[in-house]
Amino acid sequence: MTRDVLQEKILDILVRDFEFQDPQLDDNLRDDHGFDSIDAIELLGKIERIFGFSLTREEKEKAMDIRTINDILDYLEPIYQGRSK
Amino acid sequence: MKRRVVITACSAISPIGYGKKAITDGLQHGRSGVRPLRDDGLLTNHIHSRVFGTVDYPINYQFTRSQRKTMGPVAYYACQVAGDVLAASGLSEEFITSGRLGVAFGSTHGSPTVQREIYKTFFQNLEAEFSSIGAVDYLRSMVHTTAVNITRMFGITGRVIASSTACTTSSQAIGFGYEMIKYGMQDAMVCGGADEYDTTTVAVFDNLLACSVAYNATPERTPRPFDRKRDGLVVGEGGGAVLLEEFEAAKKRGAPILGEIIGFSCNNNGGDLILPNLAGITATLRLALADAAIEPAAVDYISAHATATKMGDIIESQAIEAVYGDRPFVSGLKSYTGHTMGSCGVIELIMTLYMMEEGFVAPTLNLDEVDPRCAPVRHTPGVLQTKTKIAAVQNFAFGGVNTSLLVKNGREAGI
Repeated sequence: MTRDVLQEKILDILVRDFEFQDPQLDDNLRDDHGFDSIDAIELLGKIERIFGFSLTREEKEKAMDIRTINDILDYLEPIYQGRSK
Repeated sequence: MKRRVVITACSAISPIGYGKKAITDGLQHGRSGVRPLRDDGLLTNHIHSRVFGTVDYPINYQFTRSQRKTMGPVAYYACQVAGDVLAASGLSEEFITSGRLGVAFGSTHGSPTVQREIYKTFFQNLEAEFSSIGAVDYLRSMVHTTAVNITRMFGITGRVIASSTACTTSSQAIGFGYEMIKYGMQDAMVCGGADEYDTTTVAVFDNLLACSVAYNATPERTPRPFDRKRDGLVVGEGGGAVLLEEFEAAKKRGAPILGEIIGFSCNNNGGDLILPNLAGITATLRLALADAAIEPAAVDYISAHATATKMGDIIESQAIEAVYGDRPFVSGLKSYTGHTMGSCGVIELIMTLYMMEEGFVAPTLNLDEVDPRCAPVRHTPGVLQTKTKIAAVQNFAFGGVNTSLLVKNGREAGI
């Protein structure tokens, strides 16, 4: 899965399930869209289904520092590339 | 410290309508809110009783995503009616968030709709490695979900009482809220209860042979409290909230006084968890009168619990006769709505307030021929134009919990 495809899927989830209005890649998730830590846990569960594998506890904890959609992609890309080899 | 406690706002979502106009109209015109049981794709076809007290009209919820994410269907009802009473109250945001206003609100068992999603985890072997339980599923389904979604939505920082005693859930919430204010622990309380559409609740009563089954083809003809041909209760859904305030403060700010809670009682039968108990119910009716320091003859109207079960209505009639004789008018308001479970107490109180305000009492719907064993009390003989000064709202629950609330007409509250 390329970064572009991943980006498309994440944006789709954020718009459809989290009701983001016109999300931009560098928007602050909390300030601009009211996205909080509970939302992050919910999003990770959806990402696990996209990936087809579950994230480790350590990987999930690292996700709590994410601030933007670009951060999400930077965080997910190496995990996906590493696990899908 | 003993302070007077008044009701300054109320709102109900019921099977016969949302708000005063629709509910009053339903009571005055004998409109039933009982409909065929909706199909949930799970239990509906396995339940003998195929009727349900249904909220079948659209409600224009204005909740944000952030608010909605911790709310199951039951919290939608709860937050909607709580928002209504806070908006109607005109109370400042400063007071609402001051810690002097609390919440007493409950439901029978949180949100079974969301709980069902959690239970699916146990049957999803193919996805067992994923996080099947959503991050907010517990917040949306937990037993105190109604109370704390209300505090979250409105920034309420006072006490939280999340009663959950089945059919006495909201009457307890109102009673405990009343005591909070009466004894100076809080200055105002948002009180009430809600329950959502749920066939597991129907199944519980259906299994116990307590549900109505003889009127599946004619839902509006059941339940039939006190009637010779009654055959059980009809489960329903809904929500209701009242705002209780300390009398002097309410008067000072010019709040409308819809009624005054003058007495409350709550006891337990101390034994069987299902069967109605004459001694326990009779005692709770007397305890409420003692709390209000009034004589039985002062009560003009009784909203009976009256679920239309075979034994429950007889025992309640006997208790009413023993305590009140045959003077007060009696009706069973579940005949209009079905048994809205955790919200029945508050919805029946609100119906009673509307009737007091409009100067009438509604009869028990479907009471065509009074069961002689329920006969000693004064059944309301049709829509009656009459002034009610004091009314009793009675509720009894599985678990042997009994409550009685005594409410004085707002016009009589001595303003």
